[in-house]
Amino acid sequence: MKFAFLCTTGFLTTRFFQTQHLPLGNLYESLMFLSWGFSFLYLISNVKNKKRLSAPVLATSALLVHAFAVLSLPHKMRESMSLVPALQSQWLMMHVSTTLISYATLLFGSLLAIVLLSIFHGEIKRYCVGNLTNNFEFRNKNYPLISKNFPKQIITESFSYSLFLNSRKCQLIHLLDKWTYQAISLGFSFLTIGIISGAVWANEAWGSYWSWDPKETWALITWLIYAIYLHIRINKKWMGKGSAMAASMGFFLVWICFLGVNLLGVGLHNYGWLI
Amino acid sequence: MNTIQHLSTEAPSVLGGHRLLKSSSCSYFVTTAHGFLLARRMLSGISQPEKYRRILVNSYNRKQSNSSNTTVKTSTKLPSVDHLTPSDAPSVSNAEGREDAASSSQWKERKDDGVDVRAGFSSGKDKKPALLTDSFEYFAFLRRLKRTAEKLLSSFPLAIAELAIIGALCAVGTLIEQGQSREFYLQKYSEDWAFGLFNGEWVLNLCLDHVYTAPYFLGLLALLAASLIACTSSRQIPLVKIARRWRFVNSGASISKLDFHETLPHARLADLAVLLAGDKYQVFMRGPSLYAFKGLAGRFAPIGVHAALLLIMGGATYSAIGGYHGTIMVPQGLNFMVGEAMYPAGFLSQPPDSFDTEVHINKFTIETYPNGEVSQFRTDLSLFNLRGQEVSRKVISVNDPLRYGGFTMYQTDWGISTIQIHVDGEGPFNLVAAPLQTGDNKLFGTFLPIGDNGLAGAKGISMLARDLQSVVIYDSNGAFAGVRRSGSEKPITVDGVTIIIDDIIGSTGLEMKLDPGVPIVYAGFAALMLTTVLSYLCHLQVWALQVDDSLVVGAKSNRNRAEFAEDLGKLLNFVPEIVRDRSMENIAPIISSTNEELSMQGTSAKMDNESSRS
Repeated sequence: MKFAFLCTTGFLTTRFFQTQHLPLGNLYESLMFLSWGFSFLYLISNVKNKKRLSAPVLATSALLVHAFAVLSLPHKMRESMSLVPALQSQWLMMHVSTTLISYATLLFGSLLAIVLLSIFHGEIKRYCVGNLTNNFEFRNKNYPLISKNFPKQIITESFSYSLFLNSRKCQLIHLLDKWTYQAISLGFSFLTIGIISGAVWANEAWGSYWSWDPKETWALITWLIYAIYLHIRINKKWMGKGSAMAASMGFFLVWICFLGVNLLGVGLHNYGWLI
Repeated sequence: MNTIQHLSTEAPSVLGGHRLLKSSSCSYFVTTAHGFLLARRMLSGISQPEKYRRILVNSYNRKQSNSSNTTVKTSTKLPSVDHLTPSDAPSVSNAEGREDAASSSQWKERKDDGVDVRAGFSSGKDKKPALLTDSFEYFAFLRRLKRTAEKLLSSFPLAIAELAIIGALCAVGTLIEQGQSREFYLQKYSEDWAFGLFNGEWVLNLCLDHVYTAPYFLGLLALLAASLIACTSSRQIPLVKIARRWRFVNSGASISKLDFHETLPHARLADLAVLLAGDKYQVFMRGPSLYAFKGLAGRFAPIGVHAALLLIMGGATYSAIGGYHGTIMVPQGLNFMVGEAMYPAGFLSQPPDSFDTEVHINKFTIETYPNGEVSQFRTDLSLFNLRGQEVSRKVISVNDPLRYGGFTMYQTDWGISTIQIHVDGEGPFNLVAAPLQTGDNKLFGTFLPIGDNGLAGAKGISMLARDLQSVVIYDSNGAFAGVRRSGSEKPITVDGVTIIIDDIIGSTGLEMKLDPGVPIVYAGFAALMLTTVLSYLCHLQVWALQVDDSLVVGAKSNRNRAEFAEDLGKLLNFVPEIVRDRSMENIAPIISSTNEELSMQGTSAKMDNESSRS
């Protein structure tokens, strides 16, 4: 996987030198950048020692995106080409790269949420995701079994409570939820910066910072769903399952935003069209 | 004077809505926030709503019984206060409910002491001056109205629903093409979708052809803005006040109610303070108690996010109702007045003086790459004021507009206005070109009539051009005659007529905008970018109390609790435990106990001499 990262980086840099602009001009280049993003995330998770959980998700995504870019796009798109006038701007680098990196991170986080939902569908509430507290009543509500067997004063610092907390399933759920949150929060910041830089670029170039272009609108919808995710995560009643569902829906919305809109064939973002 | 004394000591509790512990709260009302609020209370001193008066009385009661369990009682509310988070729906109403419960419990307690406060209370009520009854009622009503509105608007499910519905409507707007003619929708959706329930008529009636300016969409956006305001003012700001105010804690019981708490036997406050300071906390110590926090920005940043969103929405609204906008296609060499091309966007639009500028197109060019693809469109513009002086000159291109006097001129489009030719040595003649195809692949054509057949049966030579470089020429029968590059001076003879293509004169498509809301929106953008990143900082707070020989430590974070618990646990591991072993003179520190190591207490320990002598 590290080798794949090196290769993809090499590919992107050679294209950069060849065409004198960042390789982000059409759909093919964007997809390659996305797959590079996935392999970069893999490197980061490697460094942070959470490789075991995220590697299957990231490596598969990188592979699939790469394969789609290379195998399913028309051959003409793969040639490096010069930029149309509208794209000749410094903003290109910032807007497109941050948006694509945000897609990669958000997709990663949403995939983890989908994993969480699909594996632990019925049990998230029981293990009280995201709420590793010693709060007495909350625990009592959720672990009636334990409170029956142990006298109350031991529960707050109970040895076996820690054991229970440390069970594999509970740990896995907590980890998945924690990393979903971290990935999505990082991706959310990037997405905000990406949308805003796109708006500022549009204002500088065409005088209107928001023109309800389909791609812009779908980026906004993606932003909204992840804002919903972050807010649901705070609410004690809905956290856990609700947030995982919001993040899972975000997965599909990101793909619609990135690829689905290009199928419509209208709007300013015509560089991504499949034609 | 007595009442003022009450006000000053009770101001924090009144305004926070929850009782602070009865430490020496003198230090509190020196802060400016309190000073302001105090002044406000004093100014409206006479017209106090009933609730505040009741709270005043309750705190008066509590002052009477200092050492009783009231402190513990009030402290039980505190952890739950801190569990309040911005979007916790039931909490605001619960907080008010708890206040009432507290006051009623206070009532119950006070009955025993024989102090007839109720009499005092009612007499206080009677003392209200009759003159100000109406204004008092009015203010109370307004305040109640505001509170109900806040409660309604800041409800959590409402916010989620708003976001979701706005998102869904945006999606609908992308699926149905916007801004087309009426017939377009009737035709496109004529086959009965969804069993006749949905067709073109529905699209138009529901304003789905212009969703983004439809009244219900704008209303939803306004509702979202109102919810943001309500949430910020009713939840987040009070939380910030509480977070900044609840500092020192004097009772170990309240610390034990926190999320994360530990009891470290034989430990000292100073050691913990040093460790926390080393971990970049800001540490405050007073007597036996300690308060430390880190990452205060993480508390303010969510407020900043909401404020930034409101700024953006406000700026966009101002743009929508107060700007100017216009497009114009000007042939090279001609002029136009800026003011004539601009149309106001709404009722707040004010034309500035710079609208009296005349714009002259000096030249319009299209640059191409070697392979023939377009690389850039450039227009050389000169701006003249009313006296004819040139005030500005610039070559604009697609990503490089001209800014002057508040409005901005963008290069957005282009066309061909005329084809200049010499016919049989005479000329030059300008033939006006008409657009045959618009959009990305433009096609312009013009016509040179030959002979004298009149207008109806005119026959002649057609010339078509796709760009400013070459012209394709067809003869009177429509047969292809040849291609000529403009400026090549190469003649072509068609139907007995010799034509030389001199020039293809283009016209530039300019878009002009005056957008007063842009600075506001940009400020909102910058704030949003900054605060979104900042709001991922955790606001961590640590309280510690030295109780006899041991240290009770409690902590709270507003995010990411699990990791914080681990980190703090690791930090606490380093607090040295002081064990006085009388048989040994040299003792060295040991790792302090965690929960599992309780059994390891009392094992022989070594510790540094200096730190043990305190």
